[in-house]
Amino acid sequence: MDITFEHVTHVYNPRTPFERLALDDVNLFIPSGSYTSIIGHTGSGKSTLVQHINGLLKPSKGRVTAGKITIDANEKKPNLKALREKVGFVFQYPEHQLFEETIIKDVCFGPMNFGVPAAEATTRAEESLRLVGLPSSYWHRSPFDLSGGQMRRVAIAGVLAVHPEVIILDEPTAGLDPQGKREILHLFDKLHKNFNLTLIMVTHNMGDAALYSDQVIVMAGGRPVMADKPEKVFAREEELRKIGLDVPETMMFLDKLTAKFGAGQISPVFTIQETADTVIRLLNGGLENV
Amino acid sequence: MFNLIIGQYVPIESFVHKLDPRSKLAGVFLFVVVVFLADNWPTYGLMIIFCLAGIYFSKVPLHFVYQGLRSVLFIVLVTFVLNLFFTAGGPLLFSMGWLHIYLNGLIQSIFISIRLLVIIVVTTLLTLTTSPIEITDGMETLLAPLKKIKLPVHEFALMMSISLRFIPTLLEETEKIMKAQAARGSDFTSGPLKNRVKAIIPLLVPLFVGAFKRAEDLAMAMEARGYHGDTGRTRLRRLVWTWRDTLLMILFAFLTALLIMTRS
Repeated sequence: MDITFEHVTHVYNPRTPFERLALDDVNLFIPSGSYTSIIGHTGSGKSTLVQHINGLLKPSKGRVTAGKITIDANEKKPNLKALREKVGFVFQYPEHQLFEETIIKDVCFGPMNFGVPAAEATTRAEESLRLVGLPSSYWHRSPFDLSGGQMRRVAIAGVLAVHPEVIILDEPTAGLDPQGKREILHLFDKLHKNFNLTLIMVTHNMGDAALYSDQVIVMAGGRPVMADKPEKVFAREEELRKIGLDVPETMMFLDKLTAKFGAGQISPVFTIQETADTVIRLLNGGLENV
Repeated sequence: MFNLIIGQYVPIESFVHKLDPRSKLAGVFLFVVVVFLADNWPTYGLMIIFCLAGIYFSKVPLHFVYQGLRSVLFIVLVTFVLNLFFTAGGPLLFSMGWLHIYLNGLIQSIFISIRLLVIIVVTTLLTLTTSPIEITDGMETLLAPLKKIKLPVHEFALMMSISLRFIPTLLEETEKIMKAQAARGSDFTSGPLKNRVKAIIPLLVPLFVGAFKRAEDLAMAMEARGYHGDTGRTRLRRLVWTWRDTLLMILFAFLTALLIMTRS
């Protein structure tokens, strides 16, 4: 499901003293089956941007197209339910949306809303809970008895059970411990690869953006200032620093090392393995071999 | 709804804004009492002039005052009509079937409308120029004598300021949860009423869970910072009585005297 932004502008509280321009003439293309990361400073318009994709926000100007559905500023809202069935949204701290008596009922909530019959919804719920790795002994307990990390997995299962083609993740790992964080990111990476899910992740972590995605969009002042492969985006270190962003830790490390060796800038690497390889080559014979 | 609870505080600088909330509260209270002293054209004229002066010195844009009035305009209108038809006396002005309008009735209904309007304008002016926190502080100080008879004045004031503080937070939270559930296919705005009512449960449960959790956190944070109730507590924002407040009080004394002298 391709997603296109055409001249999208969004103004919060228009014609009041609290008026604020959040998106400013945004043009973007997110291809079907891609893993896109959106990075940017707080208040750069990341969350506003992604909330346009499933119609939670309507553009003040311009149009957003997701698959066959178009939301145009000048037209009436189309059938949003059909759109939301295709585009799942995992909010920041999604555990705050749990409300049912049992975990399995909560996961069924989404599919049932979209008209899936109860039996089928339960099957989907079980399948999703297995995917996120929550043992079946928990399924009939109250979601409020779980730990924070488990609650988040239940909430994610609730989105997966709808069987969306696109999933938007708004800082999915905020507030998790390193282990939980890794598990969640692995889960989405797996879903992306196995089910050809289109993923759009808003994140503050440059390392995650670099490691997992095949497109990185950099937002600043309500506009996408860069949209490219991670290697290309993170090669523009100076520009990123100027808008208050950083490069992944692997690159920070190599930058310091090459500076010590008196070597120039090297091409971006993101995994530990690649970093180690670069260090070895650097130690073996200077920059020519890098 | 939003305006009603938060008050419509307009954060600008003016003579009225700089007044101490205590003098403003006392002033408004006094004003509401002395309004009933007015009983003829000069005295009602005086009240109107006083109101207009208040609006002028508060520098609040007129449409904000109008917004405050709009919601109660209907009540004023009903009172006007009732008094118009049901007060007898004086020469008959108009008569149709069983409806009669007398001169006294007309004058009476104009007076009552003015009375209501000036009261509303003055109270609106209070909320327009005083932040909710200031009002709470002012009330707490003014009501302090009631502590002598074991009324928990401080606790009431604290409850009030906490609620005021968390209204925006709760509204934000509501919006977030609504969006999250809408993304899961919940529909708050269309469909049959029964479904819409049902859609409220997924909104209310997380909202309450969040509110209780936040209350617990807040209680913990307050204890951690040594909160132990009213006794021995000092203030960060002290209320300061200035010449402006004294001036306002003198003005009120003057107004009251003038009213007593000119009323018929």
